[in-house]
Amino acid sequence: MSQASTHAETLPKMGVNWIGLYTIVRREVQRMMRVPIQAFIAPWISALLFIFIFGSVVGGRISTIGGHRYLEFVLPGILMMNVINAAFLQSSSAIYFSRFIRFVEEMLVAPLSYFEMVVGSLSTVVLRASITGIGILLMGLGFGASTIESWPLFIFWVVSVSTIFGLAGIIIGLWSKSFEQLNMPVVFFLTPLSMIGGSFFTASMLPSWLQWLAWINPFFYFINGIRGAMIGVDETPPGLGIGLTLLLILVLGGTVWRLYARGYGLRE
Amino acid sequence: MPAPALKIRNLRKVYRRGNVAVDDLSLTIEEGDFFGFLGPNGAGKSTTIHCVTGIATPTSGSIEVFGIDAVKQYREARRLVGLCPQEFNVDPFANARQIVDWAGGYFGLNAAQRKSRVDYLMERFELTPHLKKSFRELSGGLKRRVVLARALVHDPRLIILDEPTAGVDVELRRVLWRYLTDINSQDRRTILLTSHYLEEVERLCRDIAIVANGKIVREGSKDEIAGGPGGLEQAYLVATGAEGDHVAG
Repeated sequence: MSQASTHAETLPKMGVNWIGLYTIVRREVQRMMRVPIQAFIAPWISALLFIFIFGSVVGGRISTIGGHRYLEFVLPGILMMNVINAAFLQSSSAIYFSRFIRFVEEMLVAPLSYFEMVVGSLSTVVLRASITGIGILLMGLGFGASTIESWPLFIFWVVSVSTIFGLAGIIIGLWSKSFEQLNMPVVFFLTPLSMIGGSFFTASMLPSWLQWLAWINPFFYFINGIRGAMIGVDETPPGLGIGLTLLLILVLGGTVWRLYARGYGLRE
Repeated sequence: MPAPALKIRNLRKVYRRGNVAVDDLSLTIEEGDFFGFLGPNGAGKSTTIHCVTGIATPTSGSIEVFGIDAVKQYREARRLVGLCPQEFNVDPFANARQIVDWAGGYFGLNAAQRKSRVDYLMERFELTPHLKKSFRELSGGLKRRVVLARALVHDPRLIILDEPTAGVDVELRRVLWRYLTDINSQDRRTILLTSHYLEEVERLCRDIAIVANGKIVREGSKDEIAGGPGGLEQAYLVATGAEGDHVAG
């Protein structure tokens, strides 16, 4: 016994529990890789259909927008829609499943801080969203439509938007008491807001009395942000989208922090 | 004088709907003790354990693990505790090795430490032939072994076992008894055991507390409590107020 033992007292004093944090990521990646069709194949097939139908079939009959082919115009929106979905589904399902089966208790009884739990969860979110996004970017390349005007901005938008929806997914995962509740935000918010958020059109294409709908929709800024990073076309005032994104990260991050500190949905 | 392994003072836990699960419970367990925590279903045993380990948030009172505040310095306190819960709170699609390895990772063990510890525990609990099977494919007894191995992976100083032998066969019960006796006597690990099997408690524990309706109703050494006429069972029935029901029934 003693030869194989590793006494808790001999472990380093508690700073950041890097091994614990890495274990959260490792575990979530292994869980994610158990469902590759759900995690990656489904969004890629969906994106491929969007690219083919809207970009090639319909887009062939539409004139250029801002000097770009319609396919080039819609690709960033398709990419962002899938990044958002991947991020939200990853964190919401991970937290809900771990609560439902109660193996979240494995982390609650361990020397892990709330910060480590949240960062561990978000790291996997960003990883899944990035892999999804890169796959769609490569598909776009196959259709001759992938361009990147600014890599730093492209990375900023993928990472920051997936963080936002990762945080939102954690909140919903903590709140949900059934799979029905878990799926509600996708049906009632994520899909409609990304559809009317300018993925397939510019705000100026909307009737003037409806344009406000685009401007109050945060998805409009995310989609325009990544479109600006990819093809240089961004309808929103410079800096507004980035400011809004950072603000949302702060607000949602603070909310998640408070919920973890209270043990909401986690502790009895 | 060394700090007790577990010191609970005036612990109270009230759930949201006003259900008082633990009511002003105080308890001290000295280092190296093998402590039996008895009581009927719903008496507050598991809730007390959940408050100690962080699964539940105490409403009031204090909990110290080896002198460390388990609420304010929860990370430091949790390194010293290993919990084998009553229910299987395990990812059913993960295999035995992953489950124990991940738990080691959460407790900060590096890859080499985890490998050594996981190999040792898998062998000790005769899980080696089942390493690659997913948890849901294992029998009830094997599942219990995996959860035990997970609780012990970081070699905790205080081991909390919430009905660890419920529903397991005689063979595992004996393997577990032998193991617990060894780590208690040789490695001076403190063990808190809840069980409905009184003969198990009588065989293993040195001190006993009986809890009913969220309060400690009897506490003392095993010899003291079980030494009277009728033994531990009689003492238990009297303390929990079940004797009258038992006779009447």
